[in-house]
Amino acid sequence: MKKFLSLCILILAFSPPISFSGVRHFTFLYEAPTSARGSAELENWVTWKRTTDPERLDQVDFRHEIEYGVTDRFQVSVYLADWFYEVDPEHSGFAYSDSAIELIYNLTNPVDDPVGLSIYGEIKAGDRLVELESKLIAQKNFGPLILAYNATLEAVWEGNDLTEHEGEFSQALGASYEISPPISVGVELLHEFVFPEWRDEEKIRNFFVGPNVSYRSRNWFVTVTALAQATDTEDEPDFQARTIFGIGL
Amino acid sequence: MSRISKHGQFLESAYEMKHFAILTAAIICLVDLCGCETTSFAPPPVTVELMRTRARARQHVEIATLREGRVLFVSRCIECHTLPAISRYKASQWPSIIDEMTGRANLKPAERDAVLAYILAARAQ
Repeated sequence: MKKFLSLCILILAFSPPISFSGVRHFTFLYEAPTSARGSAELENWVTWKRTTDPERLDQVDFRHEIEYGVTDRFQVSVYLADWFYEVDPEHSGFAYSDSAIELIYNLTNPVDDPVGLSIYGEIKAGDRLVELESKLIAQKNFGPLILAYNATLEAVWEGNDLTEHEGEFSQALGASYEISPPISVGVELLHEFVFPEWRDEEKIRNFFVGPNVSYRSRNWFVTVTALAQATDTEDEPDFQARTIFGIGL
Repeated sequence: MSRISKHGQFLESAYEMKHFAILTAAIICLVDLCGCETTSFAPPPVTVELMRTRARARQHVEIATLREGRVLFVSRCIECHTLPAISRYKASQWPSIIDEMTGRANLKPAERDAVLAYILAARAQ
């Protein structure tokens, strides 16, 4: 992992100056446009989750990601490290979770075409964890209004010998309105169907909804979303807030 | 007893379906919105009329350049923000706006010129 990080830093240090690769208007949804060819960005994610049922648990997840536009339609991202800090009645502490690679290919434009579409693939590997994720990203821009929809399918293998399986289908819908050139506000909805052991016997359904706000400046942006759970699912966060801070490299 | 149980199951499944229905309705609205007036927010296409506008202003630009400018305008700019209406800024303001954005959008000098040529042609139309 250290060698990989050193290699990334060396590549960035000796590569020619590259520019900003894009602003996120949402934090729980992806948008259809991909980064321009040759542009790069460092994104830092912080997600705080509070669960109270069956017992109180606070978890803060961190992600450090580098995004790079390979072509005008194809974007590669590397999650250098996903790690978290957890506090529950028995213990607290930091732990490394995983690293990942993410690929996004843009098919159509959200301004010119009836719907802007992109496809997304992600492979994640970590401490007793392997995860595959695929997404269909749809977006339409109506002047200052952006509407986005994501359908996500996820397969997780975890535990010793990766014997615990879980599947998840989720869909997310977001709207973001540009109230002035640097500021957008909106709403995000997240609907999850969880399948422990790839079965639907427990009927786990989660529905989250909440507002977002995004601010962008010369070569950086920050976007914040706060989601509350509208369902009453045990072991799932009652509240979660995510911040993504991005800076052009 | 079984009738009460069935009634309970029905209410439970109806509750589960409520959130799915809300999201589905929102998606239908989104698809419906996409189906009507989809081009009204898009900047004007590059047409012969647009070329004539440039010719009248005695500013000759190849049609391929204007087309490239439009493609770059509708793809690069939306990576960070929504597209402003071209009429929102005066023709004299656009060069400095494009210059400010060139670095962020990773535009080469020829690409910057193509975007500006397209915007000025579309604005003059």
